[in-house]
Amino acid sequence: MAMEGNIEEAAKYLALGTATGLGAIGPGAGVGYLVGKTIESVARQPEMRGDLQGMMFLGLALTEAITFYALLMGFVAFFL
Amino acid sequence: MTPFRNRFVAIWLVLVVATMTAATISLMTGPAYGQAAESAGNAEESNEPDPIAEFELLPLGPVALNNALRFGCDGKDAEGHKTGCIVDMSINKAVIYLWLAALICCLFTVLVARRMQLKPNKTQTFTEVVYEFAHDSIAKATLGEKTFSRYMPYVASLFMFLWVVNLISFIPLPFGHESAWGIADFGLYAATSNINVTLALTLVTFFVSHFEGVRHNGLIKYMGSWKPHGVNPILGGFIWVIEFISQLLRLVSMSVRLFANMLAGHLLILMMLSLIAIIGSVFIAIGTVPIAVFFFLFEFGLVATLQAFIFAMLSGIYIGGAAEPQH
Repeated sequence: MAMEGNIEEAAKYLALGTATGLGAIGPGAGVGYLVGKTIESVARQPEMRGDLQGMMFLGLALTEAITFYALLMGFVAFFL
Repeated sequence: MTPFRNRFVAIWLVLVVATMTAATISLMTGPAYGQAAESAGNAEESNEPDPIAEFELLPLGPVALNNALRFGCDGKDAEGHKTGCIVDMSINKAVIYLWLAALICCLFTVLVARRMQLKPNKTQTFTEVVYEFAHDSIAKATLGEKTFSRYMPYVASLFMFLWVVNLISFIPLPFGHESAWGIADFGLYAATSNINVTLALTLVTFFVSHFEGVRHNGLIKYMGSWKPHGVNPILGGFIWVIEFISQLLRLVSMSVRLFANMLAGHLLILMMLSLIAIIGSVFIAIGTVPIAVFFFLFEFGLVATLQAFIFAMLSGIYIGGAAEPQH
């Protein structure tokens, strides 16, 4: 079957979707692991809750950031 | 049920119904998919509603006022708006939402602070809880001793401002695009779903944190704190370069986190509602409207607050961490 239409445009859409989708896999697992471990720690030592929460959010921010690098790369492919 | 819980449930019900109705009407009367795509050079004819068009920023208000706020322009379009401007400060939806949020923040807190009582009423208790949260859980937990007194107000007001911006974005307000009857639609729009807003706030935090780092440690010592002590110079230099890049990437991660979260939430709700027209069957609403309501409650109840909290908290961590480097 012959290909019709703007292949360059199609590749851009594909790049954005693939980059965002694949980039979300790792951080998704990471965030789940991080929160799970924090809950485990709080269950073990409830008095540490405040400290652990702060650390969790910092770790969450750093882990989540990786998704946005993938998204950014997708945008770079899409718009540039 | 107690009267209080009755009222609580009623308020939520009214909010959900009003928001869903307003968003649907706004989608149905707004520009169709073909019209928005045409301006992007993609001539596709269609009558489907376009959720992306809800995020387009069109100038609002009189043409003369908007033209007075544009500088360095080189032409005019058919409606008299100046085009090709270097600095375009014309008034649009996002600007009005930001003004509204700032106004709510200032008026609410000033009015509550004016009539403080020893025996607080409900409003005062609420404000005190919010203030205490911003003071203890955000500022005290993240800012160090050196920067606490100076940057507590910044971090706390950042939290409150973003919180209000995120919350009013889920309440239908009459700043949508013009409908068929010549009046603005009620629509959902978040000022924080615009990368310009979040990037501007991130830039403030970025420059403030580095300014504080240099002020408290000196330029050489501050730059030196980006690599760990006690490693050989070649490896240390390599780590320093990585740390330097990651400092710059904070700009991206912080701004895009807030922007992407708010945009995705709004887009999901609008997409679910516009599916009714795209598929062309009313029965699909049985499936999509509950999903839209679920995401609305999730975003309004959790994500709006959480993202404001994370943004303020990260600002505090970066400012505090720059002033008192760990290694």
